[in-house]
Amino acid sequence: MRMFVLSPSKMSMFSVDWLAGLLALLVLAVAPWLFASGYVIGVMTVALCFGIWAASWDFMSGLTGRENFGHSLFIGAGAYTAGFLNVNFAVNPWWSLLAAPVVAAVFSLAVGFPTLRLRGPYFALAMLSGAAVMQNLTIIFSRYTGGQDGLNGLDPIVDSTLGYYYLTLVLLAAITLVLKLIAASPWGIILRAIRGDEASCQAAGINVTFYKIASLTISAACAGLGGALYAHYQLQVGPDLFAVVLSINIIIMVYVGGIGTIYGPVGGAILLNVLTESLRVFSEYRLWMYTLLLVFILFFMPQGLIAPLWWRLRRRLSP
Amino acid sequence: MVQILVYGAVISAIYAMLAVGFTLIFGVARILNLAHGSFYALGAYLVYTFTANANLPLWAACLIAVPLVGAFGVAVERILVRPLRRSMLAVLLITLAVALMVEQVLLLIFGSEARNVPSLVDATYHFAGVDISAQRLLALGGGVTILAGLWLFMQHTRLGSAILAVAQDAEAAQYMGIPSDRIYSLVMGLSAAIAAAAGILVAPFQTVIPSMGLLPLVKAFAIVVVGGLGSIPGSIVGALLLGYSETIVAFEVSIEWSQIVSVAAVFATLVIRPSGFFGKRASF
Repeated sequence: MRMFVLSPSKMSMFSVDWLAGLLALLVLAVAPWLFASGYVIGVMTVALCFGIWAASWDFMSGLTGRENFGHSLFIGAGAYTAGFLNVNFAVNPWWSLLAAPVVAAVFSLAVGFPTLRLRGPYFALAMLSGAAVMQNLTIIFSRYTGGQDGLNGLDPIVDSTLGYYYLTLVLLAAITLVLKLIAASPWGIILRAIRGDEASCQAAGINVTFYKIASLTISAACAGLGGALYAHYQLQVGPDLFAVVLSINIIIMVYVGGIGTIYGPVGGAILLNVLTESLRVFSEYRLWMYTLLLVFILFFMPQGLIAPLWWRLRRRLSP
Repeated sequence: MVQILVYGAVISAIYAMLAVGFTLIFGVARILNLAHGSFYALGAYLVYTFTANANLPLWAACLIAVPLVGAFGVAVERILVRPLRRSMLAVLLITLAVALMVEQVLLLIFGSEARNVPSLVDATYHFAGVDISAQRLLALGGGVTILAGLWLFMQHTRLGSAILAVAQDAEAAQYMGIPSDRIYSLVMGLSAAIAAAAGILVAPFQTVIPSMGLLPLVKAFAIVVVGGLGSIPGSIVGALLLGYSETIVAFEVSIEWSQIVSVAAVFATLVIRPSGFFGKRASF
């Protein structure tokens, strides 16, 4: 496990990190001009939404080690909030970006408060069940949610595809930056310490429950924001946004990127989304291949793919 | 009234079969098995294949399907779970991966439309003014028989005692010469077989689709939380409680609201008494 240690000799590495982050942002910013097709920009926008979800998942689960198997609960909550406000009450779509994180955060408190006080597997299972039950409820109460078809006819936040791409990119960059800064602060160190040994943290006088619930709430708010962005991009929300499969896809992306690094999962999300699009021919077998990939990574590269690559590169760059 | 009694009993028996396996493998091996629902689905689909494609008689199909799923459970434990057992996180992920793979394979082979599994018995009994299909009664009888058999096995055989010993303290059991690794495999197989039996018993009156394993997993989790994680009597009591309250809500209020019962039960249990009815207090 790698930890940030703030010693002078490592400060130069920080600037390398900053530089690489800026470079990655620059590449993503010029990418639409390189390919210049609406289709590619659309794929990339969805990939960036997945990046937000993966980074927010990693913030809670990667740092504290409490696996969240129902991240789609927060995504769906955010997306449906956007849908309700926009379709039923004709609220300006910009408000979704404010309302969706709040609603997702409320959901996270409802799940987190009873389960995160406890040790053991309760949290993981409660998240999984919570998402599955919400998916059922959207179908059962179809009078309000539109059932299997969902809510249609949302307004886009920004009209042009290119504009939407940049909006998503800016939000993704902001979220990644904030989460990464928190992760590198004393807060993040406490979260990592909870993963290492919860009992010792408690003995040291740290209110473990507070830190776990607060980080879940932050993670949920970011996921909800991503959900609203996605909903206004697709112009449609459906029960699939609560699906367990979506949560699993996000977890796989995090594992590919490198768990606990925040930036790795963003890379993993973009990589897997682009790969999926280029492998459209095999779409039937996609999930099957994803799952095999997950098994492979669990057994042979528990650190993931993207973060270790960067570590190696960084060692090369800073002698 | 009679209908609520009988339907509730049938549902409770099925839930109990699922929850007992789920809690057993957790209590003994500390494996939280997210693939538990896929054993249930596999049972139903194997019987479908054997009867519809291989033209076997139904009883033979059942007799082959249950051990086959049990063997699958053993294989999952040995090949996938055992190397990763150090980390609970990895175990959760790998069992989830198994669940997904099973669902995907079923989807690729059978497609997403619902399949019909024939009933073992076709009659319908007219009893105190309501019609009750014999298949439901068979599900009830089968469930009770299997649970009773499991109880006898656990309490009155050497192997059963060995399982209980490993559940209490795996290290101490190892010192006493009990091969705990082999016990883990055995328990995984056992719980998979019981889940498959549950799937077979309900298949005739349930929709058999590839994703049918998810909801039973959620229900098993709810029951196990209410009853106390790792406790077999707890999971039976929890199954009765949840089975009946769901049936009552479904009959008296509406089917829709019955979905909420298990969530409410989990929430209430975790807030009021996190260890459930029979769970160990010490672990909190």
